[in-house]
Amino acid sequence: MKLISKSTIGGLALFAALGLVFFWMASAPHPLNAADIPEHTANIDNGKLLYNIGGCISCHAPGPDVKNVAADIPAGGKPFITPIGILYPPNLTPDRDTGLGYWTEVDFVNAMQKGLGPSDEHLIPAFPYTSYAHMKIGDILDIKAYLASFAAVKNATKPHEVLFQPIVRRGLGLWKWVGFDETKWQPDAAQTASWNRGSYLVNGPGHCSECHTPRTLFMSSDTARMFQGGPHPEGKGKVPSLRGLVERERYKDAADLVLAFQNGEELGYDKMSSGGMGEVRKNIALLPDDDVKAIAEFVSNLK
Amino acid sequence: MISKLSLGLMATAVTLVLGSSISFASGDDAIKARQACMKANGAGMGVLVPIIKGGKPYDAAVISAALDTMGKACADWANFWPADSMKSTTLKTRAGEAIWSDPKAFEAAGGAYYTAFTALKATKDEAGFKAAFGDLGKGCGGCHEKFRAPE
Repeated sequence: MKLISKSTIGGLALFAALGLVFFWMASAPHPLNAADIPEHTANIDNGKLLYNIGGCISCHAPGPDVKNVAADIPAGGKPFITPIGILYPPNLTPDRDTGLGYWTEVDFVNAMQKGLGPSDEHLIPAFPYTSYAHMKIGDILDIKAYLASFAAVKNATKPHEVLFQPIVRRGLGLWKWVGFDETKWQPDAAQTASWNRGSYLVNGPGHCSECHTPRTLFMSSDTARMFQGGPHPEGKGKVPSLRGLVERERYKDAADLVLAFQNGEELGYDKMSSGGMGEVRKNIALLPDDDVKAIAEFVSNLK
Repeated sequence: MISKLSLGLMATAVTLVLGSSISFASGDDAIKARQACMKANGAGMGVLVPIIKGGKPYDAAVISAALDTMGKACADWANFWPADSMKSTTLKTRAGEAIWSDPKAFEAAGGAYYTAFTALKATKDEAGFKAAFGDLGKGCGGCHEKFRAPE
């Protein structure tokens, strides 16, 4: 008596093969082409502003083994410890061998808004392309122009220490079906221009929701509970809710929040220091007053 | 050359900061004491910050009283961090692991705060007070950024 017939084995093999084909097709990258990039005259000052609100330097800072490079040059390599492993954020300076020197505009837009590297590999979303996808494409190109203005630093960052990385990376293609919302940011006509500016900075380049929003079972942002606080990216502890900051008496009003962003503990505001927010706050403090006010207006009105 | 005496002094300093608690019967007592210190500091900032922001007038006596209360509540700082106070089964603590894994940096951060605190206490007039206050805040931040865990 045969429990498993030859045809059963054949069926299973076919099923597994179909599964692999499905996995391969569904996880395929969908990059933009050069023709998708509009004509754009780069504005380096705008790029710098967006680089600051994005806090790019906080992750792309030079690693401990990089010598003679100032801490505010995004030469990469500072270890980012996450629950999936240790990541080494890459070098963003224009070095041709180890940085973004040879990257074209479409390469950069694909990374920032599609989560794809220059060989069309899926990027690990610790790099918050999930937020940058909402940005205006011109703003992305301005950031590229600003990065190109740095002096090139030769620094080949270490490969990420993530188990089964090729499978994880390809699998991210599947994850993008559920976890990646590419809709562009839209203004709300019922709100002030300043609120809308704040909304754009917070939801796009600022990528605040990456930490301040809970995640679903699939590790995508739970948009139904936007800004209600989330797990800390390093794995331990929580990131607080941004809703009802005034009602819960964390801050008196938007103006109070502006003072907190701009001064932090130097003016006695101690709630923006821990868990990495200290660096975020310092990056926000680099923005022009109007943008800090806009962010405060948007955030202090989250109910 | 490191003499026996300086080695002894260093060992004492390390014991003071990290060794088994000298002044506190248990880790929980140390947690309670440091939380009372932080609470007093918070209350003190509630008095000082409005003077900096201009909502309250400069008053040397009020400032001195606030700083004294802060100083007293934190006088035992060096004993606040015994190894058994890293975690507690009954109390919530946001003391970060780096306090114990990087004690040198923690001591430096605490020292920076104490220097700023002493300098602020020594100020004699409004201009001096306002000029020195930022460093006190930076001192608070120096610990809160690296050594206070997320919520």
